[in-house]
Amino acid sequence: MKKRLILQEITRTFEDGGIEITILDKLDLEVAEGELVAVMGPSGSGKSTFLSIAGALLEPTSGHVLLDGESITGKNKQELSDLRLKKIGFIFQSANLIPYLKVEEQLVLVSKLAGMEKAKATKRAKDLLDKMGLSHRRTAYPEKLSGGERQRVAIARALMNDPAVLFADEPTASLDASRGLDIVSMIAKQVKDQRKSAVMVTHDDRILPLCDRVLFLENGKLVEKKEAPQSTFHVV
Amino acid sequence: MYLAIREMRFAKARYTLIATIMVLVAFLVLFVTGLAQGLAYDNAASVKNMAATHFVLEQDSNHRFTRSQLDQNQVEKAGLIVGKENAESLGVKMTTVVPLGDTEKIDVTLLAVNLDGWLAPTVTEGSPISDQTKGHVLVDQKLSDSGVKIGSIIVDQASGTKWTVSGFVKNESFSHTPAVFLNKQDWLNLQAQTLTRQGTGSAADSKVYNAIAIKASKEKVKELQSALPNTEVIKKSEAVSAIPGYKEEQGSLLMMIVFLFVISAFVLAVFFYVITIQKTSQFGILKAIGTRTAYLARSVTLQVLVLSVGSLVLSVLLVQLFEAVLPSSMPFQLGFSTLALTCASFVTMSLAGSLFSVWKVAKIDALDAIGRTAA
Repeated sequence: MKKRLILQEITRTFEDGGIEITILDKLDLEVAEGELVAVMGPSGSGKSTFLSIAGALLEPTSGHVLLDGESITGKNKQELSDLRLKKIGFIFQSANLIPYLKVEEQLVLVSKLAGMEKAKATKRAKDLLDKMGLSHRRTAYPEKLSGGERQRVAIARALMNDPAVLFADEPTASLDASRGLDIVSMIAKQVKDQRKSAVMVTHDDRILPLCDRVLFLENGKLVEKKEAPQSTFHVV
Repeated sequence: MYLAIREMRFAKARYTLIATIMVLVAFLVLFVTGLAQGLAYDNAASVKNMAATHFVLEQDSNHRFTRSQLDQNQVEKAGLIVGKENAESLGVKMTTVVPLGDTEKIDVTLLAVNLDGWLAPTVTEGSPISDQTKGHVLVDQKLSDSGVKIGSIIVDQASGTKWTVSGFVKNESFSHTPAVFLNKQDWLNLQAQTLTRQGTGSAADSKVYNAIAIKASKEKVKELQSALPNTEVIKKSEAVSAIPGYKEEQGSLLMMIVFLFVISAFVLAVFFYVITIQKTSQFGILKAIGTRTAYLARSVTLQVLVLSVGSLVLSVLLVQLFEAVLPSSMPFQLGFSTLALTCASFVTMSLAGSLFSVWKVAKIDALDAIGRTAA
């Protein structure tokens, strides 16, 4: 099976008061097509750093990130911007929509930035919103949407440019249990249907059953554990 | 483009408020500029209208016509160097006249020029006078507000000389007083009379002028300067700014205009800076999902441009409306080139004000988007 996201020996160190701190230590990860991987870990374990590096927002100290087989090392800022635009879909914690754009425009914006034709973009936006069950909300501003609806728009936007990889940063943090489940199952379904690789950073163990794999970030490495998620309280 | 326009559409109230401030400031800029121009012209119209490039004045006259004295000799010498037809003697005297049969005194400036030469003004009403006509003058249109008509007789208060108004000229003034043009004969008569009254000197050495108007190239001017001792040759603009009150008036108005420009730039700068800071996480998210910094910077710049150009258009209309209802005695002049220049500077200053926000946008890190709970 094709691996759309591959992280090889990612190391990231920070300098803090003259002491070098290793956040990620030769971290390896491969996510296959159609696979949704959950990454858990206590605060300070490096989840954000991990997501930033995998999402081409931050350069690793060493190691390689491959998106659809293409390395992101050595690219300049603009190339990285374009890469994020076309290869990566982001779903953030909450309120990650632009307040002054209507639902449909949120989607059209990203395709416009990627240079898609307007007619094509409008059609794709319409299809995606249909899939997310948001057709009736197309001309609403984010402030008029419920938290769940907002996250669904975010999912649609993340999928707009048909990326290789989806990254979700605690997508259920501001939702209640049933809506959270709803959103994650929607992400899982799209990942399966559209053959994406997806990584979700989360604290929420209720949604883990929907993921194909659950990994814990410990001592700068990702480890797979079968037992209950109490282990997230390890001190790193 | 996409973002900038939609944001302004969404936050109408916010952008309307700032646009209102901009309209008011732009209006004030244009209005004060028009007033400064109008006052400048009203003040120095006659000198500005003269086709001269330079003026010869007496040394140590501080560039002021009224302080300078030159004699016929020097006029002839100047004529020899730059060509007789390029040197015209000029008499300037500020005085007070009273129309005969009236008691209202009017401050005027007497300008003695060769009425067959290139310093002669264009007559708009009545008949022109020549160097031969005696006791006839051309007066500025403004005198008609004081009841002076063609054929009226005006009396010089200082000398008691009487002149008949032969015609009117338009936009001729010196130091905010209307101009009265007379020929050389009458000028010399006036000199003689004044001197006799004062009891000094004799009529013979009274062939005195205040300046020589010159049309010449830079090289000729240098030659002239060395050939005429005890004189200085000044540029027309120097002569204009030495008119009593001119520099002071223009200086304070210019200061107001400059301040308004700076204020408008700062108002915009602060507004966009605050908005930009408020939107930091939004910009972070936009950058994270792959928006280039250049696109966001263009977006901010475009908003500034839309605001400043839009408010300029409105204020130009307002100023024009104002100009239409202003009384004609109000000196207001806003020519196309001044208007264009003012508008261009306004837009430039606004864009300069937006630079700070653009810099701020450029500094925002896409990493801000990760691990944020609220935007």
